[in-house]
Amino acid sequence: MPISRRALAAAVAALLLPLSACGSGDDGGAGSTDASGKVEGDITFQTWNLRANFKSYFEGLIADFEHKYPGAHVKWVDQPAEGYPDKLSADAGGGTLPDVVNVSPDLVAPLAKAGLAMDLDKAAAKYKSEYLDGAWAGHQVPGLSGTYAFPWYLNTGPLFYNKSLFEKAGLDADRPPKTYDDLFADALQLAKKSGGKVATLANVPTIEDFGRYGVPLMNKQGTAFAFNNTKGIELLTKYKELYDAKALDPQALTATPESSGKKFLTGAVAMNPGSALDLGNFKKNAPGLYKNIGITDQITSTGHVNMYVMGLMVNSRTKHTPAAVAFAHFVTDAQNQMSFAKKVAIFPSTAGSLDDPYFTKQDGTDETRVRVAAAKSLKTAVNYTPVLFSDQMKTALRNEVAKALQGKQSPKAALDNAVKAADRLLQQG
Amino acid sequence: MATPTAATRIRRQLRTSPWLFAAPGLLVTGAFVLYPFVSTLVNSFTDRRTLLPGHFVGLANFRELLHDDMFWTGLRNSTLYVLCVVPALVVLPLLLALLVQKNIPGITFFRSAFYTPVVASIVVVGLIWVWLLDERGLVNALLETVGIGRVGFLSDQWLLLLSAMAVTVWKGLGYYMIIYLAALANVPRELHEAAAVDGAGAVRRFFSVTLPAVRSTMVLVAALSSVAAFKVFSEVYLMAGPSGGPAGEDTTLVMLVQRTGTGLTGRVGYASALSVVVFVVTVALMLLVLRADRKEEA
Repeated sequence: MPISRRALAAAVAALLLPLSACGSGDDGGAGSTDASGKVEGDITFQTWNLRANFKSYFEGLIADFEHKYPGAHVKWVDQPAEGYPDKLSADAGGGTLPDVVNVSPDLVAPLAKAGLAMDLDKAAAKYKSEYLDGAWAGHQVPGLSGTYAFPWYLNTGPLFYNKSLFEKAGLDADRPPKTYDDLFADALQLAKKSGGKVATLANVPTIEDFGRYGVPLMNKQGTAFAFNNTKGIELLTKYKELYDAKALDPQALTATPESSGKKFLTGAVAMNPGSALDLGNFKKNAPGLYKNIGITDQITSTGHVNMYVMGLMVNSRTKHTPAAVAFAHFVTDAQNQMSFAKKVAIFPSTAGSLDDPYFTKQDGTDETRVRVAAAKSLKTAVNYTPVLFSDQMKTALRNEVAKALQGKQSPKAALDNAVKAADRLLQQG
Repeated sequence: MATPTAATRIRRQLRTSPWLFAAPGLLVTGAFVLYPFVSTLVNSFTDRRTLLPGHFVGLANFRELLHDDMFWTGLRNSTLYVLCVVPALVVLPLLLALLVQKNIPGITFFRSAFYTPVVASIVVVGLIWVWLLDERGLVNALLETVGIGRVGFLSDQWLLLLSAMAVTVWKGLGYYMIIYLAALANVPRELHEAAAVDGAGAVRRFFSVTLPAVRSTMVLVAALSSVAAFKVFSEVYLMAGPSGGPAGEDTTLVMLVQRTGTGLTGRVGYASALSVVVFVVTVALMLLVLRADRKEEA
């Protein structure tokens, strides 16, 4: 059957449509950064895997906001933890990014670079003094001026250890390792005494480990990575010793946080990072372990533990800037962060909140001990993960580290390659 | 007899109605197959990122992948997957089909049992195998009991790939067994009877009667399984983890596409170039299988 020219033209047009992908992606039009208007309109608020446990808290929070601003209406959506960056990229690409979005600093960086995150130094400068200085700066992106998310909750996990395994290896279970040197010595002894059956660690060193070991991660200008220095090579060499002695679990090269957590539960691994939430898990799923659980601070040779920062980003293309900024501030203000912290083991990023007796007074329970210790260490904690260290860079580092641990290349060559790959990705934007 | 006006109307309808019938299928194919395909092709010549528009870079992505060690690792693993999995999936399901073909009491149970992995979720299957093959899993416990000692199924690069291949074969057996059962049902019984009368034993009958009769089905199975094997993702991802095994050495090409092209900083242009390579190799594999079949027929 003959095909008409018109049909042919339509088909060709359909095929050529994707070429529009090569054009400018800036088709949404930036919204205003003026948040001084009336707080009204429908906005969407997206959280990151929080509905399952905190539904009533967020529903109450939204009801309070809508009561305070009768003209505003908030639609709450929650996304699962798995694949969250993919969901954000799909929404960003499709122009359906919610007005207020739960982000971490490494997620906000590409969104800010693409012009999708509102500069809060312009839109919400008056609120800056309410937050800890370090927390406010946590969502600044090297190469851009401005701050791209309200600081929300902070977290830092303690390190759990199995006292029974420590005792069996002849170690003092009441004196767990504090620095990396202590850790390496204890780990080698544990592996030796158990005949290689008990490892101390279940994960290969990440960029945070390099930071906590005191390795400068980037150059002073923040334009290139620098963790392939003498200190970095020293850390990786030590890990190689652990791996050879089976003090680092043989499956560490492919481990995920879930798999290493499971190994700790089964007593295959003696130490594992976690949070106060894990205590309930131990109590329920591994009562034997719970009886022998030891809790200590994160291992650090710098005196500063690592902290995780969560933030709330305002979509720069929101049609309701005053409502979106007001809501993001409302969720992250001192009062609401404090009430959230009392529901779950997180810590407020607002100035002075960590001095509240809830974070300073002991009541004899393990949960409070973990909370008070974590709040204390948070005052000087550092977010070691560079904001620009993307998932692709993390994979590159992990793979090069794995090759060094397997003896396929020297620690120096591994870190040189990882830095080279990360720098290339950094330059590609 | 139709009037001239009616004849014109019928002619017009004859011209448009096939398109109307085909329209839903064409629209779905256009939107979900053709458009993404052309879009991928176009993107492969750009430096497009997830959130940033791309610019035309010519063949730069293709030149880059020639110097990318991870691309060669992925190509090696995907090719190994085809070379190991396809022969197993062509031969083993045929033998299995021959076993369960007979109508003996209780055979339905075995047919269903062999088919169960096909309907099981790949995620569930993957997790079960990870538990079985873990350093402290059931298989290693048994090996330790018999004095062999623990084997690093999930920590050794090659054993991990082999384990993933075993899962692919185990999961695919039932599916291809059903295809072979259908083919075997079409083999005339008289041929077997005549061969038996002529003194042919079971093995001779298999090679002289059964095999020629199911040869075209074997080609189909080879074509289907080679394409599936080259595009393997789930089994390796579940067993080797998102990093693609120790040092990423078990990464397959499709895993590399996923890792490179997704996320907020995904390199869509480069991942598209990788996808184009996967497409070209897949088509080449199909042509190779069909050509081998034609040669044998000739």
